[in-house]
Amino acid sequence: MSDPLLRLSDVEVHFEKEQSIWDFYQDPDVVHAVDGVSLDIEENDVLALVGESGCGKTTLGKTAIGLQQPTGGSVEFRGQDIWEAKAGRGDVPFEEIRQSLQIIHQDPGSSLNPNQRLVEILSEPLRHVHPDMGSGERRERIFSLLERVGMSPAADFGDRYPHQLSGGEKQRVALCRALLMNPDVILADEAISALDVSLRVEMMDLMLDLQDVFDTTYVFISHDLSNARYFTEHGDGRIGVMYLGELVELGTAEELIEDPRHPYTNVLRWATPELSLDATEAVDPPMRKIDIPDPVNPPSGCRFHTRCPKAREACKGGTPTREPVDGGGQEVACFREQPEHAYWESDPIED
Amino acid sequence: MTASHSSTATSAVDASDTILELRNASVTYDDGESYVLDDVSIDIERNEIIGIVGESGSGKSMLASALLDAIPDPGLLSGEVSYYPEGGERVDVLDLDGASLKELRWEEVSMVFQGAMSSFNPTMKVRGHFEETLDAHDADRTAGMARARELLEDLYLDPQRVLDSYPHELSGGMQQRALIALSLVLEPDVLVMDEPTAALDLLMQRSILVLLEKLQEKYDLTMVFITHDLPLVASLADRLAVMYAFELVEVGPTEEILGHASHPYTRALLNATPNLDAPLEEMEAIEGSSPAPVNVPEGCSFRPRCPLADESCRVDAPEHSTVVDDHSVACHHWEDSAGEIPLNYAPDGGTSADVDADGGTPDGMDADGSRGGGER
Repeated sequence: MSDPLLRLSDVEVHFEKEQSIWDFYQDPDVVHAVDGVSLDIEENDVLALVGESGCGKTTLGKTAIGLQQPTGGSVEFRGQDIWEAKAGRGDVPFEEIRQSLQIIHQDPGSSLNPNQRLVEILSEPLRHVHPDMGSGERRERIFSLLERVGMSPAADFGDRYPHQLSGGEKQRVALCRALLMNPDVILADEAISALDVSLRVEMMDLMLDLQDVFDTTYVFISHDLSNARYFTEHGDGRIGVMYLGELVELGTAEELIEDPRHPYTNVLRWATPELSLDATEAVDPPMRKIDIPDPVNPPSGCRFHTRCPKAREACKGGTPTREPVDGGGQEVACFREQPEHAYWESDPIED
Repeated sequence: MTASHSSTATSAVDASDTILELRNASVTYDDGESYVLDDVSIDIERNEIIGIVGESGSGKSMLASALLDAIPDPGLLSGEVSYYPEGGERVDVLDLDGASLKELRWEEVSMVFQGAMSSFNPTMKVRGHFEETLDAHDADRTAGMARARELLEDLYLDPQRVLDSYPHELSGGMQQRALIALSLVLEPDVLVMDEPTAALDLLMQRSILVLLEKLQEKYDLTMVFITHDLPLVASLADRLAVMYAFELVEVGPTEEILGHASHPYTRALLNATPNLDAPLEEMEAIEGSSPAPVNVPEGCSFRPRCPLADESCRVDAPEHSTVVDDHSVACHHWEDSAGEIPLNYAPDGGTSADVDADGGTPDGMDADGSRGGGER
């Protein structure tokens, strides 16, 4: 079998906190943003990363597309280590890898240059990829893509500045800009979170629609399980659940929602609003503490043990590894999956 | 069911106990050229939690500001806003002078805005905010701070740690909870919240909702919760009011709205919302976009996007009709909407019950998870 599009092996990203001059002789605080994540992403794939604020999903996404250098482990693009290539030691030119990996940011307002018209904003990537293309052909390509994303008349939109667009339109332009690079992967970092609820489905449909045309893989970051479900079920992909820098569960939307194995996945499920009358009463969250621990000093053992309703003393010890569930595609990192584990003999943690 | 016409959004108010009353409230800009709130009437009952739902730019924040006579300049508020203190005389909010308005705003009705970061002074510790608020209203500091500590504990915060922190030292969720505690320190009866959880992740949003429900019971509060997120507020609110293009289009108890939404817009909104139960292929976006304040369509403002629209919708702006008791809707064709726009989820909870059973909620939770939204 050939190499996957992206292979993350034991990726670790630690940040040192800034410190004042008085702390000079002390070791700096280290934020554990991502720890020990291994993951393969295939061509034409859809992967959603979900988790609460501060769980490291954005850092992991940026590491996957080579925007953030991991402090440990490696990231390979079709078998080529991205950071080796950047250092000039690779077989594939870094420029090529860089072009193949694109990003759409959360806030479309601040990711578009306010002083440029849309035509100018969208010409930039084309000039980069096709330096020989004439300006007439460029305009044609841009206009047809704008029409494709529902912004017509394209000539009229092309002459506008970003502030003359609505939030949804700006995000479409950001998507166009990423697509014009002909990328293999687009990281959509909370790309629909800033949009109105009623516009989110439309934007997701558009992204998936264009996936068929452009043959791209999406890494879709969201804190909302129902959006991740919609996106991955339509795109036939998987959801990865992150907690405090670790990937604790991986599976299809159906697997995670019908049969969440990790107690934290169950918490995310609880947090997702439902429209049925059964759900109209607020129920206490299935966890012991509301606030996420400080990633400077992540809890020992299983990092979720400080909030987990099922935690026992054994969870403070070793770190659970991600194992397949029943030999299927779903993977989970929890001691409760191992019938022989000391977990079952130990006492529940008392707060 | 009769389609009796009534000019107000709530019809069964006679027997109940109204705390805030909005009558024909309009907000205009540009010398009456554009309306950002158009002739809205609603009664807010004592001790209820009402959710006001609308898209961005539907005028829902204007409605919140109108309740406190706090429309930003140069907007002009007309109509009537009344506050009924418990056992007291009616207060005409728009008639109050500066000092009485200031009293009303924190001590009777208080407000929480979205984005806690910009509500706090970054150079002042959280304790300072509480003390300053107490001093500004000549309240007793010792008793006030004791109450502050209790409120913070109610919100699952460590009072000592939070009071001695600067706002930036707290996470977004902690800041927002501290802000809610601050808004309650002068013991108001009504808490108006404008997107109080919008900038937070879903987990924190839902956690805060659970805490709000507990606060409401403990302190007998009336809550007005303004949001664009219908499914989120549905788990908290007793009643829902749906806004479209600066008007209230549908008002009713939460289970009525979820189960028997009658306005085509409400039904489209419910169908457009991603949730865990709905079959994916039936989820669809609402075609078109909501109107800007300068060119609201004649007649029914939802007409250009509505599958049921006909000539009468172009000519007449629909009045509110009564669906059942306290469920009213502003639509000429509300009786046909259910047939025309089927909902894509099971409002009777058929599918979700199965999911819940598998979900493995922790022991003892299932008992509370039973149905019954607005039975209070």
